[in-house]
Amino acid sequence: MVLAWRRASPRIATLRAARPDDPERGGPTAERAARELVEVIGQRKLFQRLVPGMMHAAIFWGFVVLLPTIAEAATAIVDPHAHLPLIGDTAWFGWLVDVFAVAVLVGVVTAVAIRKVQRPDRFRGSHLEEADRILLMITAIVISLLLWQAMRIALGLTGAEGPVSGWLGDLVDGASTGALEAAERGLVWAHLLLVLAFLVYLPGSKHLHIVTAAPNVWLRKSGPGGRLEPLRIDLEAPEEDLRLGAAVATDLTKKQTLDLFSCTECGRCQDVCPAWTTGKPLSPKLLVMDLRDHVAAGTAGQTGEIELQPLVPNAVTDEVVWDCVTCGACVRECPVDIEHVDTIVDLRRNLVMAESRFPSEAGALLRGVEGPGENPWGQPASARMDWAEGLDVRVLAPGDAAPDVLFWVGCAGAFDERAREATRSTVRLLQAAGVDVAVLGQRESCTGDPARRMGHEYLFQTLAEGNVSTLNDAGVTTIVASCAHCFNTLANEYPDYGGTYEVVHHSEFLARLVQEGGLHPSRDSVAVTYHDACYLGRHNGNYDAPRDVLGATTGEIAEMPRNRERSFCCGAGGARFWMEEGGDARINETRYEEAASTGADVVATACPFCLVMLDDASSAAGAGPEVADVATLLARSTLPKG
Amino acid sequence: MDIAVLVKWVPEPQGTPTLGPDHLLVREGADGALDPGDEYGLERALQLVERDGGEVTVVSMGPEVAVAAVQRGLAMGAGRGVLVTDDALRGADTLVSARVLAATIGPIGADLVVAAVESTDGYTGTLPITVAELLGLPSVTFATSVDIVDGSHLRAERQTAAGAEVVSSPLPTLVTVTTGVAEPRYPSLKGVMAAKSKPLDRPSLADLGLGADDVRPSQTVASVEAAPVKAGGRVIEAGPETAAEIADLLAEARVI
Amino acid sequence: MWIWADVAPEGVVSSAFELLTKARAIGSDVGAVALGPGAAGAADRLGEHGAARVYTSDDERLAEPTSRVAAHTLAALVAEHSPGIVLFPSSYRGRDVAGRLQAITGSTLMANAVDLPSIDRARAEILGGTTIVEVDLAGPSPHLVLMRPRSFEPEAVGGTAEVVTVDIVEPPGRATVVQVVEQTEAAADGPSLDGAKVVLAGGRGLGGPDGFRLLEELGDAIGDTAIGASRAAVDAGWVPYAMQIGQTGSTVKPEVYLAAGISGALQHAVGMKGSRRIVAITKDPEAPILKLADLGVVGDLFQVLPSLTEEVRRRTGR
Repeated sequence: MVLAWRRASPRIATLRAARPDDPERGGPTAERAARELVEVIGQRKLFQRLVPGMMHAAIFWGFVVLLPTIAEAATAIVDPHAHLPLIGDTAWFGWLVDVFAVAVLVGVVTAVAIRKVQRPDRFRGSHLEEADRILLMITAIVISLLLWQAMRIALGLTGAEGPVSGWLGDLVDGASTGALEAAERGLVWAHLLLVLAFLVYLPGSKHLHIVTAAPNVWLRKSGPGGRLEPLRIDLEAPEEDLRLGAAVATDLTKKQTLDLFSCTECGRCQDVCPAWTTGKPLSPKLLVMDLRDHVAAGTAGQTGEIELQPLVPNAVTDEVVWDCVTCGACVRECPVDIEHVDTIVDLRRNLVMAESRFPSEAGALLRGVEGPGENPWGQPASARMDWAEGLDVRVLAPGDAAPDVLFWVGCAGAFDERAREATRSTVRLLQAAGVDVAVLGQRESCTGDPARRMGHEYLFQTLAEGNVSTLNDAGVTTIVASCAHCFNTLANEYPDYGGTYEVVHHSEFLARLVQEGGLHPSRDSVAVTYHDACYLGRHNGNYDAPRDVLGATTGEIAEMPRNRERSFCCGAGGARFWMEEGGDARINETRYEEAASTGADVVATACPFCLVMLDDASSAAGAGPEVADVATLLARSTLPKG
Repeated sequence: MDIAVLVKWVPEPQGTPTLGPDHLLVREGADGALDPGDEYGLERALQLVERDGGEVTVVSMGPEVAVAAVQRGLAMGAGRGVLVTDDALRGADTLVSARVLAATIGPIGADLVVAAVESTDGYTGTLPITVAELLGLPSVTFATSVDIVDGSHLRAERQTAAGAEVVSSPLPTLVTVTTGVAEPRYPSLKGVMAAKSKPLDRPSLADLGLGADDVRPSQTVASVEAAPVKAGGRVIEAGPETAAEIADLLAEARVI
Repeated sequence: MWIWADVAPEGVVSSAFELLTKARAIGSDVGAVALGPGAAGAADRLGEHGAARVYTSDDERLAEPTSRVAAHTLAALVAEHSPGIVLFPSSYRGRDVAGRLQAITGSTLMANAVDLPSIDRARAEILGGTTIVEVDLAGPSPHLVLMRPRSFEPEAVGGTAEVVTVDIVEPPGRATVVQVVEQTEAAADGPSLDGAKVVLAGGRGLGGPDGFRLLEELGDAIGDTAIGASRAAVDAGWVPYAMQIGQTGSTVKPEVYLAAGISGALQHAVGMKGSRRIVAITKDPEAPILKLADLGVVGDLFQVLPSLTEEVRRRTGR
């Protein structure tokens, strides 16, 4: 036990030294409890893959059920007749133990089969020997338990007899009492020592997750995944108080550190990461493992003193940090609720704000957003209404009465040629439905999403405060946005800066209009597939509204293999739209191929970035489905040409 | 190794600046930034002092809003800033500006004076060399690469009418640089904060030894009119006449 | 009225003839100043184009890179003969000499002029070519005006110039020699994207690195041309990143920008939309670049480019 404690204390010290989290982070207690029930007890996320899910559930539930038997064994060391109070001597308990012990063994066999026979790619980079040792120990513990029970049964020490232990008991029944007693003693000690050895092994291995997983789930961020927690920056504050992201291990929060100790190296995150699967060095799993190893190495053999070397590039390389598209697929997959994206953004915050170290091409994005035009394309503010040429769009001037709906155009929607079509379609549809809609025109600045995802939290803060001020002064209550990123930031992040509005994504607003009869599309019968935008779907749970819009216009959707919450990113997120891409394949081209494989003639999107990325891919491919926004498609079948 | 870098605050670097009722460029109240062209020379200067020691001083002349350009220079790493601002300088032409800047740089005793080849809003391209002459300095213009050798000489590659040449100039000297001479750094937040406590001098014209006569411009705008709007672009189908049409455009643009 | 004639070892540069033609339109008795190696042979041609007098020196020291010697020599001439105005070409040498002369004489200097209504008034295009201003020139003589290239058509009128050989004047103060360590001819790389009068850019439509050869040939025919590329071509590995034009990459503002096989998405457009004139050749009638272009051609660039090259060669005799 002392040994176990000694091995555990560096971990505890690391956690102690970590930064505190926002106590409200995990949400209300009831919500957290529900999460624990569903995810930990119910193993929900593990079941996202059926067979491995069953395998793990068997071992986990078995572990939970068998836990009391350890207590029994501990007391039986002293008094061979000892039993657990109430249940220890009962047959049904014996049955329970046996059934779950067998379940565990079946689980172990399945695990071995997966690891040794199937050899899925997600284990690439994981410490497989560690897993083997754990599985071996589990097997040894369970078998020693069964054998020990068998001895006890043969000796008549217990009535807790189940089918397996009973059968084993019968097998050894013939032996002499002396031999049985010796065996019983030997096995109880063996069992207990194995358990203790397991306990000692635990803190230094990835199996520590059995202790950390439940707390990790408890501390997971509540609310939409697209919201990043604010990092308030006050330039007037004394420099020691200034937090600019995660530079060294102690800058990580307790949750972030616990994340590192919870990783089981299962690789589910790795499997779904768009960067990894297109040949980039970023794997969320490896990132977590590398950070964990770095943090752990800093505390090995010491109590309390954490080695303060910069995390980037010592634990993870710059390239890995910048490869992330913040799509959140990893977070969704993780059975122990590790929040990789938040940690990556914190690393970026330090790189950008404290060290000014980022891919140089992204500098153009920052300069553009910071400069007079306040947009990532570096376009002058005076050009913000160029998209509206020929349309009669009300521009809200200071002092005007607030419109029913403020249409937030966004920078992509205003400046990118292709995205402008979606903007125009949206406005024309809203006007056709008689909605009282206006835009901010030149007074709109970038919401700050790309700056924030890039890690420039201060720039984001400046933009957020500015936009909130503009919106609040104008008395805006309802905002419709056609960009998934704008939508996410306006809806989920602006409240942190004093801006609370009813924010509706254009797909949802349009779907409502169609449903309520404000718009009357005709059926166009086009073979269409829909690409779920990460910032609309996975991060905000909106999968249906765009499909409803399509359902009304084009009919049935040919779904891609990776759709809805499993959607594969277009590659623009995380400010990567402005960065050069390496690797074996391009994320957008990979996704476009998948879309084309459905046989559809049109790929529908609900975000201008997805639109541009997939359209680029379509140009690269030379041939393939057309890419169009849902609003454009709706407009085609609803409005007269023009 | 002390380097003085000339920087300018320009209105609307990405958009189109406007002329006010006095026919002068609207600078106050317009959104602007440190001239992107100046950042290249400034970056190179910062690299040189980081390597060889010394300090970079950013020098600018302009209305009060131009302090933003100087602050950006400080945030990027310059050690000191100087801004000359005075109502009498409104409408200054290149000669007046050169006199003011030369009077400002003189006391600094810099080994190297760096400027962009031309500013983004005025693009006259002659101001830095007028400054050089007023200071009695040699000059190397259109430098595509800049280095200091032995702390005593500037070695630069420059563009010429014939192609390119590599020149060596004893210090002190003035150099004007093209874009691409260095990749400008993005100032970190720490740099922005540090900039606030760096010295920023604001000498008056009297401090610089300049009187009213020295700063009287000798150019006035007589009239302003919009240029004939380029007939909106035409799109034609390729055909036998296409080559001639394009060649006509080239001739009209006087490139052939 | 005087003009500054750029000279090179091969002879006088033709910008001088343009300036002479303009100067003669305003006044007679136009003088030309030709300072530098190669000036000797210039007098005849300058006379043919209307110079009444040519002040010349072949001294090697005039070729030094700082233009101090040239400027001080010219200053001495100006002090002696008091011309009312000196016209300069907007060349490397022209700008340097004019800039230094301004400091010496305290004269006003007007750059980027496109016309000269009189000795006291110049006309220029500013603000990205959207606005024309007429500027009154005051202050001590001579007024200094830098004319944009090819603002006037040169006209040979026959005539001979009186040749006055002058001595160079060393600049005052300590002698600082700026040495030329090595020289390279333009042939290899050509003008950089930065200063070239014409930029020809290729994109995905060129189909591969070979397509760029078409642009190079056209560039040779036109002269003072740099070759650029869209991000697509650079990403495809056909040409180096140094040639990339766009949001990432260079921003160019040439007299003429010709885009071949480029769609013109915003990423690229931000790097070239300041060009004075834009020509686009693409096979895609929906390409965004056609909205930016002054002249857009929808067709096969593999046909258009060679035939254009031929037409340009025919007109320029290169």
